[in-house]
Amino acid sequence: MSARQYARDLGMGARFAVTGGREGWVRTALTAVGVGMGVALLLLTTALPGVVSARHAVEEARADYTFAVHPLPKGDDTLLLADTGTWWRTKSVRGRLLEPEGPKAPLPPGVDRFPAKGEMLVSPALGELLASGDAQLLRERLPYRITGTIGAKGLLGPRELVYYAGAEGLKPKAGGARTERLRTFGDPQPDTAQADPVLLMMVLVVFVVLLMPVAVFIAAAVRFGGERRDRRLAALRLVGADGRTTRRIAAGEALAGSLIGLVVGAGLFLAGRRIAGSVTVMGESFYPAYLDPSPLLALLVALAVPACAVLVTLLAMRGVVIEPLGVVRTAVPARRRLWWRLLLPLAGLALLYPMFGQGHSGGDFNQYLVIAGVLLFLIGVTALLPWLVERAVARLDPGPLSWHLAVRRLQLSSGTAARTVNGVAVAVAGAIALQMLFAGVQGQYEKNTGKDPSRAQLEIALSDHSRVGPAAAAIARTKGVRASVGLATASLGEKPRDADAALDVIVGDCASLRELAHLPSCRDGDTFALAGPEYGTEFDRASRDAVLRPGHDAYIDPGYADVQGLSVPVAVPEHLRWATARGDSLMPRANGLLVTPAALPKAAEPALSGEVFVRMDQALPDVQEYVRNTAARVDPVADIMAVTPTETSARYTSLRTGMLIGASCVLMLIGASLLVSQLEQLRERRKLLSALVAFGTRRRTLGLSVLWQSALPITLGLLLAAAVGMGLGAVLLRMSAAEVTVVWPDVLALTGVGAGVVLAVTLLTLPPLLRMTRPDGLRTE
Amino acid sequence: MTPPDGSLLVARDLRKSYGPTAALDGAAFSVHPGEVVAVMGPSGSGKSTLLHCLAGIVRPDSGSITYAGRELTTLSDSERSALRRGEFGFVFQFGQLVPELTCVENVALPLRLNGTPRKEAERAALTWMERLEVDDLRRKRPGEVSGGQGQRVAVARALVTGPRVVFADEPTGALDSLNGERVMELLTDAARSTDAAVVLVTHEARVAAWSDREIVVRDGRSRDMERSA
Repeated sequence: MSARQYARDLGMGARFAVTGGREGWVRTALTAVGVGMGVALLLLTTALPGVVSARHAVEEARADYTFAVHPLPKGDDTLLLADTGTWWRTKSVRGRLLEPEGPKAPLPPGVDRFPAKGEMLVSPALGELLASGDAQLLRERLPYRITGTIGAKGLLGPRELVYYAGAEGLKPKAGGARTERLRTFGDPQPDTAQADPVLLMMVLVVFVVLLMPVAVFIAAAVRFGGERRDRRLAALRLVGADGRTTRRIAAGEALAGSLIGLVVGAGLFLAGRRIAGSVTVMGESFYPAYLDPSPLLALLVALAVPACAVLVTLLAMRGVVIEPLGVVRTAVPARRRLWWRLLLPLAGLALLYPMFGQGHSGGDFNQYLVIAGVLLFLIGVTALLPWLVERAVARLDPGPLSWHLAVRRLQLSSGTAARTVNGVAVAVAGAIALQMLFAGVQGQYEKNTGKDPSRAQLEIALSDHSRVGPAAAAIARTKGVRASVGLATASLGEKPRDADAALDVIVGDCASLRELAHLPSCRDGDTFALAGPEYGTEFDRASRDAVLRPGHDAYIDPGYADVQGLSVPVAVPEHLRWATARGDSLMPRANGLLVTPAALPKAAEPALSGEVFVRMDQALPDVQEYVRNTAARVDPVADIMAVTPTETSARYTSLRTGMLIGASCVLMLIGASLLVSQLEQLRERRKLLSALVAFGTRRRTLGLSVLWQSALPITLGLLLAAAVGMGLGAVLLRMSAAEVTVVWPDVLALTGVGAGVVLAVTLLTLPPLLRMTRPDGLRTE
Repeated sequence: MTPPDGSLLVARDLRKSYGPTAALDGAAFSVHPGEVVAVMGPSGSGKSTLLHCLAGIVRPDSGSITYAGRELTTLSDSERSALRRGEFGFVFQFGQLVPELTCVENVALPLRLNGTPRKEAERAALTWMERLEVDDLRRKRPGEVSGGQGQRVAVARALVTGPRVVFADEPTGALDSLNGERVMELLTDAARSTDAAVVLVTHEARVAAWSDREIVVRDGRSRDMERSA
């Protein structure tokens, strides 16, 4: 066989893909759209590392904090910068006040000059928002004149809300406070730490789980129009083509379809890239320029997709005997065997087993073993499902006519049905495993704050304790505020310097202190020791015993080796009054002294930090915005935080966000591809369906039959997916050294989503079914 | 109730266009109970469209079709479907058997559409399969039988409900002459034995010879042919 002959056969197949009139074009278009959607998602995946690193680079370049214990000395190259980041409803607004101290002060990335006092530079999206008139309350908070725009170099994405405003009189504070003195922008300690092994494993699993259904769908899409192709090949056999030639022609046809799919995919990706700049996904936006696929990975996609298409076609033709007399008989299908299908997940388990418990030791997971193991588990779903569908439908008896038609069709070609729902089953199995993994390790990345959001919804950290009183009063008068509690805190040690134990001193009037503890009686000048059976560790209790020694002095703001403290002595009374901490205290972690203002030595006041806790009427629209505006008026550098019962690691949260974005894309792809594949199946049966209607079959019967044909395999697919997903989830949890628990509502929700996608797609196919079953479908001219 | 002249199905001045193409342009037709009428004509002449209109599959743009005294063109889609289920039988060129059902299930299908229980429907189907000499294929699927056998199964399916009119669109078009002859013999015998009218669309004179009367359709118009002795 010459290469020329080979090329001729492939070329003939390629011609079949694009000729054959409307029918042929529709078939090729469906394949191209199916493959194209998969390719677009693959290209997006290859571009993700670039997006992440580009955003990370911007983030590092504009980092504006130091880890200096003491403020830098003022110079002609220093800049005072205050973090005034805020929120507008659910959107984060990055804000900074800038005060250059000399001509060489560093400019933030994306900015070519400093704004003068009363002026600000804004990101395009913030400019748009402020100009829209929809954000009047935000405009009140940012009363500066807009004099310029921040460039892309200083922004994570085109929809990011950022401003830099000019300021005067900022006071630098060391140790991570909101005002810093800088000589340069950029992360002072770039992140070189090794990634958390469990998080890295989760990243790998997320990628495998999200890409696997894409591969399954590409494989399904290249098999569109298989029956018609077989008839065409039979005609070729009649005129002398041998079996091998027909296979090469089929390969050429698949190759052409997949190449067109690649072009469509690249087109979809580029179109998506163009609009990527105008959309925000879960609060994040991206510059289209960031979405550049890695050339090597893009090349891999370009080669792997056509190769996969040819391979799938040739594999699919194994069971087909194409005879010259125009008769295509499916070779008597051998009963599907279970043993090798079971081996796949077992092999996956064998690969993952050696890594059990490794999450504990902080050791690395072998990423190749993780990928291969998870892949084998998920391929196990695609291998087991046809066996399961075949066995299950073989036992079903005909009932009502629609059921009868569906069961018989499934019995005749259970493979087609299993292929159709394979993608959904794999996606659901992967999602269940991931969900279990995320739920199982959440405890490792989530910290309980002990705070009760029903008692206070906002916590405002003021830049200066002297603002506590005015701030609490102003906030109390704000629309929608039910109560505000002002407190000031400082640290308390048993020695003036290098204290071994540290407690808190919390200063507030009696009413405010009662928000923390049950006070027996209280008037200004009183001091209480805070106690409670439920709070604190052994270490907390030991610290308390060390610092609160009746009759001895304790020291407010003790100094340490490299930090100069005020070290103000305060006498611990002989008869110290104890106050029991409230179970719902506003400061659940507080441990130390509660002091009324008159009992606090004047000299200790500069050491205090002020905080205001706010209780609001949350039913009032924009109530948080009113409070933020009041706080910004009283203290422009105030840090306002929402009170939450838990705090979650940022990396864990962004991984989870990434997974949700990816899962949404995959589900959309699955829905769209499933729709395309069902339409293709209907199209192939159009004439038969028209004939059935011609002799009086009710369309309802046909519709129900289509529904059963989807419902049966998807039910089996989801049962299998739940079993494999939970198995894989348990394995991943054992690897992470986390307790294996199944969150049944999550499992039910995910299988429900899978079922919902199939049901929605089936319902969407009903109108085309009704159109296709019109009797004029019998016309041939 | 049949019209005074005894015709079971009568069509007058039928017109039907698909886009700019006139498929029927004033065609007329009639058939009596037990009569076999062949509709002949070249490809694209409108004979299949005429059959589809007569069977209530396609609604004509204008003209009238009366079946047993009822005007078909004014019936709703569901009424026409019910008529097709109960009163008409169909044979298509390629059989159009449902590939996933066995042969006996295919034959029983029209009865099941009318609500007959499965076992009873399959018993009746088997009787017809015996008459058409395909009862040994009962458990086979359409993909496992030859074209001639499949077409005989399709004829059994058309007759199983005891229709008053059988519409056959090129029933032997995909068969060799021997098989074609056999199918025609079985179809016409079975129809005559039940007094069912047969509307037979064909372009083969050999097939039309099985009919009692021939109508030629050309350019959407129909004409009765005198049969030479």
